[in-house]
Amino acid sequence: MKKALFKDSVKEIRNTYKRFISILLMAFLGVGFFAGMRATSPDMVDTIDQYYKENQVYDIQILSTLGLTEEDIEAISKIDNIETIVGTYEIDGILDIENKEVVTKIMCIEELNQPILLQGKLPESQDECVVEENFLTTNNKEIGDTIEIEIENTKNDEGEEIEYLNQSKLKIVGTVKSPLYILRDRGTSSLGSGKIDYYIYISKENIKASEIYTSLYIKVENSEKYTTSSEKYEDYIAKVKEDIEDIKEERETERHNKLVDIATTKVEETETEFNTEKQNAQQQIEEAKQEIENGKSEIKKTESELNTNKKESDTQFTNAYNQIQTAKKTIAQNETQLATKEQETNQQFSELEGQKQDLQTQLATVENSLAQLETQYDQMKDSPDIPEEQKQAIATQIQSLEQSKQTIEAGITQINNAIATGKQEIENAKTQIQNAKNELNNQEKQYEAKKKSTYSQLESAKLELEKAKTELETGEKELEQKQKEFEEKIAQAEAKLIEAREEITNIENPTWYVLDRYSNTGYNSFIQDTGSVENIAQVFPIVFFIVAALISLTSMTRMVEEQRTEIGTLKALGYNKLQIASKYIIYASLACILGGILGMSVGFVLIPKIIWMMYQMMYQMTDSIQISFNLTIGGIGLLLICVCIIGATIYAVLKELVQTPATLMRPKAPKMGKRVLLEKISFIWKRLSFSQKVTVRNIFRYKKRFLMTIIGILGCTALIVAGFGIKDSIECIMPNQFEKVFDYDMQIGLKNGLNEEQKQEYITNLQEKTEIQKVLEANVTYNTVINQENEEDVQLIVPKEQNDLDGVINLTDVKTKQKVELQENEICITDKVAELIGVKQGDTITLKDSKDKEIQVKISNVVENYVEHYIYMSKVTYENLYGETYNTNVLFIKNNDLSEEQEESLATEIMNQSEVASISRISTVMSMLDDTMKSLNYVVIILIVSAGLLAFVVLYNLSNVNISERIRELATIKVLGFYDKEVYSYVTRETVILTAIGIAIRINRRIFLKLLYHTELAKLIC
Amino acid sequence: MHGKTTTLNILGGMDTATSGEVIVDSKEVTRLKNKELIKYRREDIGFVFQFYNLVQNLTAKENVELATQICKDSLNPEEVIKKVGLEDRMNNFPSQLSGGEQQRVAIARAIAKNPKLLLCDEPIGALDYKTGKQILKLLQDTARKEKMTVLIITHNTALAPMADKVIHFKNGTASAIEVNENPMPVEQIEW
Repeated sequence: MKKALFKDSVKEIRNTYKRFISILLMAFLGVGFFAGMRATSPDMVDTIDQYYKENQVYDIQILSTLGLTEEDIEAISKIDNIETIVGTYEIDGILDIENKEVVTKIMCIEELNQPILLQGKLPESQDECVVEENFLTTNNKEIGDTIEIEIENTKNDEGEEIEYLNQSKLKIVGTVKSPLYILRDRGTSSLGSGKIDYYIYISKENIKASEIYTSLYIKVENSEKYTTSSEKYEDYIAKVKEDIEDIKEERETERHNKLVDIATTKVEETETEFNTEKQNAQQQIEEAKQEIENGKSEIKKTESELNTNKKESDTQFTNAYNQIQTAKKTIAQNETQLATKEQETNQQFSELEGQKQDLQTQLATVENSLAQLETQYDQMKDSPDIPEEQKQAIATQIQSLEQSKQTIEAGITQINNAIATGKQEIENAKTQIQNAKNELNNQEKQYEAKKKSTYSQLESAKLELEKAKTELETGEKELEQKQKEFEEKIAQAEAKLIEAREEITNIENPTWYVLDRYSNTGYNSFIQDTGSVENIAQVFPIVFFIVAALISLTSMTRMVEEQRTEIGTLKALGYNKLQIASKYIIYASLACILGGILGMSVGFVLIPKIIWMMYQMMYQMTDSIQISFNLTIGGIGLLLICVCIIGATIYAVLKELVQTPATLMRPKAPKMGKRVLLEKISFIWKRLSFSQKVTVRNIFRYKKRFLMTIIGILGCTALIVAGFGIKDSIECIMPNQFEKVFDYDMQIGLKNGLNEEQKQEYITNLQEKTEIQKVLEANVTYNTVINQENEEDVQLIVPKEQNDLDGVINLTDVKTKQKVELQENEICITDKVAELIGVKQGDTITLKDSKDKEIQVKISNVVENYVEHYIYMSKVTYENLYGETYNTNVLFIKNNDLSEEQEESLATEIMNQSEVASISRISTVMSMLDDTMKSLNYVVIILIVSAGLLAFVVLYNLSNVNISERIRELATIKVLGFYDKEVYSYVTRETVILTAIGIAIRINRRIFLKLLYHTELAKLIC
Repeated sequence: MHGKTTTLNILGGMDTATSGEVIVDSKEVTRLKNKELIKYRREDIGFVFQFYNLVQNLTAKENVELATQICKDSLNPEEVIKKVGLEDRMNNFPSQLSGGEQQRVAIARAIAKNPKLLLCDEPIGALDYKTGKQILKLLQDTARKEKMTVLIITHNTALAPMADKVIHFKNGTASAIEVNENPMPVEQIEW
């Protein structure tokens, strides 16, 4: 290289710095994007690799349907290359925060999968825990606050219910982030709303049910030597996985046997115990019965005694009574007799009285006669005139009267005596009777008293007897009840025993799941995303390279053309082609290398950072991505851009150099004006205004530029359109899928092993709910659909009723847009998967189910769908093709209009029902997808921004070349008096039109997306 | 440098004067703002260059139309082309025309605007003797027939006798102004 020539090169750069910079910018953009995009995926992998290594994240995880034990750990640790094996407990629990149910994943701090402490300290004692940072902010909690966790009791191997934790009241002592949950989505749970809201870590000591591990984590020896997700890493881990798979069956069987043994022993023990108890109880009952019998007979005896006593007493008293009555009668007789006698006596007395009266009358007469005689006598006695004879006769008469008087008086006295005697007699008799009466009375009184006391004694005896009887009856009843109870208990115990025995036979054979890191949703999704980024990186920079090559070509061609005189002069002076070309090659190379290196240094740092920033919306990991200057990638980028730009330069220079110096030294004849094809179509041409005609001619005058503008703009437009297209597609995916196609609101997974009756009962229950409009029963399984070499995973949906899908899942033919019904022995397939595997209506495909059974079936329709892939088949078809009995496992539920809270509570209610294994709500699916979509939006923004940048560089460059090449023409029209605006439009109108053409014939969005055919992004969108 | 072209440029509103004033048809050109200058160029001035400066992509007629479409009192392009004697080459592109023909198109383009001033910068500099003469004839005829002020710049003093007025430039200043009482017809001039 001659010194002067080199000087010239350097000066050239200084003079045409704009052109130099535009080429440099192209190289910058090309290499920057290439390097940056290509490096992002490995950088992302490096970041997660580093993150996982720092936190000792597992290589292999083992889960079992029946939990894992210390023996399992022992067995596994005997396998080669196992460095660490940790058995741990992971369980879902519910936190009650201000009456809101919050579902949490509870994990223990272990040697592996160490959480990263952000604040505070890790839990040391039983009653401490650490939480996620946003748990505190969202729920207004602080470190030091206490939360209470509710975990369902668990069963130990003996089948006893035990509490899961020692302490359910936990003090928050810090915040952490978990390497196991790098995705913001925490996964699903069988509790509460079905979605895990947070995770918390507790100390392992707090686990009460520590006998059974829920999960084993394994760190494979030397796995840190490989980068995670790399082929080497995966091969290495796969080997260890295989070793574990080898002992899997043995461990499963052993676990099963152990559980059966324990259960059997227990059942046997229970049985013995039960039998003894039964005997005891029976004996007791027998004894009680005996006692009651005894009581009964005693009562009988007492009763009969009592009766005898009573009878005896009755007889006695009757006799006594009779005697008394007889006595009374006798007395009464006596009295009567007495009365009669008295009467008689009284009659006698009255007779006597009469006689007495008579006597007294006689006496009176006598006395009278006597008194008269005496008086006569006295008179005579004194009168001696009367003869003494007369006097004697009178005296004799007196005497006789005296005598009669005496006789009468004696008679009266006699009568008086007789009366007195009689009266006396009667009196005596009366007294006698009275005495007898008195005595009788006494006797009677005595009798009454005795009777009373005897009977009251009898009465109380009777009462006592009654009481005893009642007591006995109560006792009897009690006994009866007890016996009943006992019988019931026995029946129950027997049923339990039977059940327990049945349970033993029902103890399932556990299944081990030997999983790798991909089982972690976050990791899986992240690695897939790195794949997406890589795919974009494959396609995206190509556009830049093409445009860069084109731009440099025009720029350098123009440069060479401008300097043709100088080239001619140099050629005339005797410089050879290489020496002349070297100036331009140096110029271009400098621009390339400088731009490329700049591009690399910016691209390697900036692009991964920006992409990382976007992914941080979805992933919670480290804040910064591991940036690496990947020299291979950078080198390839630089080489590519150099090939493009320097190649273009050499092409331009050589094109000029072949001409003779004389030709070169003359100014290049301006490009000839030419008529364009359009002029021949006079009816169009005539209608064009003058300036339009000029523009049309100009467009076709510079073919290279024409092509370049179109290609460049096309590329940019493609990027922008793809960007917006992705955005558009993303935005309409969800309404399309979840309103047009899936019209249901919830999908309920039924538990395995429900029989038809239970299922129907449950469904009827659901249908009765006012919130629910429709329930569709279906069978949903995961299948693989195969056409030649293409395979895709699909979900096979078989509704129970032939055409019951309508209104729940709407099948619409892609072409005819008509509603489709399921045909016998044919299937409907969704459009995207049909396109992916390359089949259409009427073709036959192979379906492979999870048991690797393959069937051939014809496609009756290709139906619309937007998210994931489905195949629909009628029940008849299913039974015909698979020859299996049809069994439903999923319910699609369509709700009536519900508010969000109503749906939430309905979902919680359904989740708590024992028939339900899982529930997924369209609204949650939508919000989850929404998050994914949001992060994609950023990719779209990058796409759009960089496409805009590219478009700017392309148009700037083109306009520059355009103007400089036609500077004389522009000068002319300026001289002619074109206003500035007219000049601008004169020169830019072509570019505008070319740009418009470029936009118009932009690559169809689908074609562009086909480039991303197998990326996750495309799968989502296509 | 004599200052001829600069004077012409200032006169044509393509350049601005640092001092002094230029008055064209009682319009002070030196005072005009950019937009007024353009208007002035557009309506009052016609230009003819040494290298014709035709738009390569336009036919002869279209090059004329390029000028007429922006002017108010423009002449009919076809008639103007006829006047310059190119009626047969009207639809040819510049590259299909000889130098003289191209210069005729340029002149047609300039006069089609019906300008007050027709400024010609070395109009025959790139032409052979015979063609040059024809062009000069065309210019003189235009001035005579159309009553148009035509300014021709040339380094060839032999041409001076054909002008009505001759301004001599030396070292950037007008050194002498002389008026030809009897301008010579072009045919009689030899150089």
